[in-house]
Amino acid sequence: MEILFLLLGVAYGLLIGLIPAAGATTGLITLFGVMPYFASDPYLGVIFCVAVVASSTTGDSFSGVLLGIPGANSAAATMVDGFPMAQNGEATRALSAAITSSTVNGLLFGSLTFLFLPYYTNIVMYMGIPELWALVVLAFVTVGFVSTKSWFRSIIAIALGITLGLVGVDVNNVPRFTLGWRYLEDGIQLLPFVAGLFAIPELVSSMRKGDATNNVEYQYTGGVKQIWQGMKDVVASWKDSIRGGFIGSFIGLLPGLGGAMADWLAYGSTVASNPKESFGHGNVRGVIGAEGANNSQKASSFIPTVLFGIPGAPFAAILMGLFLYLGIDLGSPDTFFDDKLFDSMAFAFLVGTAITAVICYVLAYYSSYVAKLPYIYYFPIIITVIIWATLQYTGGWEDLAVLIIFSAVGILAKEYKFSRPALLIGFLLSDRIYNLTYQLTSLHTIHDLITRPIFMFIVLSIIAILYWSLTKRSKLDYA
Amino acid sequence: MLRMLIALLFMTTVAKADYNLIVPQKPSGGTSVWSQIVVQEWEKHLGEKINLIYKPGARDQLGPNKFQEELRFDNETILVSHGGNGISYLMEPVQYNYLDWESIGQMNLNIIIGANETVKSGEVSMAAGSGMTPEIMAITLLLTGPNQDPIEVFNKNITWVKGMKGSERRLAFIRGDLNATRENPAAYKKHVMPLIEKGVAYTWFHHGLLDVNTGNHIKDPNFTEPTFEELYEKTWNVAPSGDFYDAYKLVKSWRDALQKAFWVNKGNPNKQKLVDALNKMIADPESMANIEKKVGKYEWRTGNDGDKAVKTLKSFITPTALKTLTDFGNQQLGFNTVYKKQLTE
Repeated sequence: MEILFLLLGVAYGLLIGLIPAAGATTGLITLFGVMPYFASDPYLGVIFCVAVVASSTTGDSFSGVLLGIPGANSAAATMVDGFPMAQNGEATRALSAAITSSTVNGLLFGSLTFLFLPYYTNIVMYMGIPELWALVVLAFVTVGFVSTKSWFRSIIAIALGITLGLVGVDVNNVPRFTLGWRYLEDGIQLLPFVAGLFAIPELVSSMRKGDATNNVEYQYTGGVKQIWQGMKDVVASWKDSIRGGFIGSFIGLLPGLGGAMADWLAYGSTVASNPKESFGHGNVRGVIGAEGANNSQKASSFIPTVLFGIPGAPFAAILMGLFLYLGIDLGSPDTFFDDKLFDSMAFAFLVGTAITAVICYVLAYYSSYVAKLPYIYYFPIIITVIIWATLQYTGGWEDLAVLIIFSAVGILAKEYKFSRPALLIGFLLSDRIYNLTYQLTSLHTIHDLITRPIFMFIVLSIIAILYWSLTKRSKLDYA
Repeated sequence: MLRMLIALLFMTTVAKADYNLIVPQKPSGGTSVWSQIVVQEWEKHLGEKINLIYKPGARDQLGPNKFQEELRFDNETILVSHGGNGISYLMEPVQYNYLDWESIGQMNLNIIIGANETVKSGEVSMAAGSGMTPEIMAITLLLTGPNQDPIEVFNKNITWVKGMKGSERRLAFIRGDLNATRENPAAYKKHVMPLIEKGVAYTWFHHGLLDVNTGNHIKDPNFTEPTFEELYEKTWNVAPSGDFYDAYKLVKSWRDALQKAFWVNKGNPNKQKLVDALNKMIADPESMANIEKKVGKYEWRTGNDGDKAVKTLKSFITPTALKTLTDFGNQQLGFNTVYKKQLTE
């Protein structure tokens, strides 16, 4: 029965992962209605939910690579080199590399997570407000300087992203940048923002060209050869993959930072570690580095969630709610001694990740056909899914208006080479940088900060990256 | 097992519902999760389906506003509100008005304040937010005593740290970045009690529960530690009083007495049926065990007792208390508050 529910979770998670701009969080939200059916055996529910997380995380790279539309906001970094690979006729190779890197790191860091779960407390405790603030600045520097050739435009994109991310109410509940529109007091919703920024411009671009993603002949003929090549790429670039995994694992430990930041830091570190190579035009290392962080971040997000009952990522917050239905209160002392809970979680995550990989390889084999499809076949489906998903917020015209506005922003940004990933990361981390700056200045002094070794290490890393970026400019010009 | 499989295969099919419950949050919000849990038990005793309709937006004010303006006139529509809606009602320009509604059931909640030893120095750092207003007012009063100006004490002794979500606030307290925190009983047991057991935190005080008959705070039997009033009296040898105290009591009561509440429009013919089903649920040990296991144990008020509670809460809205609250919220806490004279009439 465990296997059956694992497979059901994997199937459902994969389906969600494949939908553009959805992801683990969206997938889990829809499960509230079925939790009561697990009342007779709550651990089957645990297996099902965790399998959804594991599979949706791996599956979210498909739409980014094949269509240039991130399957989740964390998959945008993979898209930077993955989509050009698909355009170059290497969709299956890119997906194979993404699946392999994501799976290997998911298994490696997932095992480390579940094996040594109680020992991570100290790491979380050492990462205070100053360290988190410095990490967010590091993410901005990475995206703004390392991951782009046009750092000036990128900085403008980050600033615009931050401004858009701050739309809503400020910490005093005073409306901010809402232009008197009450709908915006809850901020700009992520889904229409991401879909508008990435999905619509790519669809419009395909429509303009009137053709498919891929119009060139394969460099490696045959799906199997491309899958094999993708695996060999990961072996050859194992340092990029593991580095990505380590970064993802570290970021996942820290509540509130999120998957997008992990993927971008991993991607940026890959670009910085390979200064002689060109990125943004289909370099498989870019895919491998970013995907290394993907599953490892999800795995380590379980650590603060299980140890403290503090969700390490948005999906973990939903997972906690779902587990409450099952009578499992993550973070409470009771769960520390529940071996069956840990076994179920570890089983679902690790075996789920492995099964997902096998299914994804099969899907990747056929994915070249998707990349070959003329836009007219997938355009209506994707537009319908995006509109449906956008309307899930309030169901009113305002949801669609936001989608239209950010579609226009995305099209202009793509046209004039203002980095859309930089815009996205600015948007996602705007609240974090604003609030952390507020907290940093409220609770800490300069004297206090310079005595914190981890904070100083991150600050020195930022300075080093800035120096590197300004003296050896990145060759990446994805927008 | 077969039932589970069928449910999973058809998990998103929407069952025809007899009632709609308006929830002013996204499905992942705290009140949404609470509602999902309670509704499952409530339906069993009602014998009819209740469909949850999520109306998030405008910081959870959109749902109650829509209920006030249009949805309440449908006899099959119920609203669930939370404590934050009560605070917004007092301090912000919202459209909804509790006095136009009738209570189906309310959950009365106590809030507990934990601290570490450093608060004894008289310097307090605590996470900010409009939902924390009662705590920060109580702490200000405790530090102020009868002879000082609370505003001066707040400005001098309290660091009101803005921009922390619940999870960050909890972690910041565990790390010692903040030296005071507050939780509802279930969350307190989970997040603060382990620290107390380790000897690095202690229970500072709790607000107590509102007695709707007398309008006073009574002791929560689950906590032996002093209530705010008891601690104040112990510290300063005099009971708390004055405009600032009245403002504290006002905002605290509107938040905690209506921490979770179900409403229908005045004169809704389905009210009694819904109240009866809720009463049956509360009387059913199995249902309550299911609910308490997931959201903790709280005191319920149903039907006319809930309407009586609203009357008691209304009596706390005096011009001076409301003005003191909105001024403090605006000038010291930095909120965008308005003084709504019509509430005092």
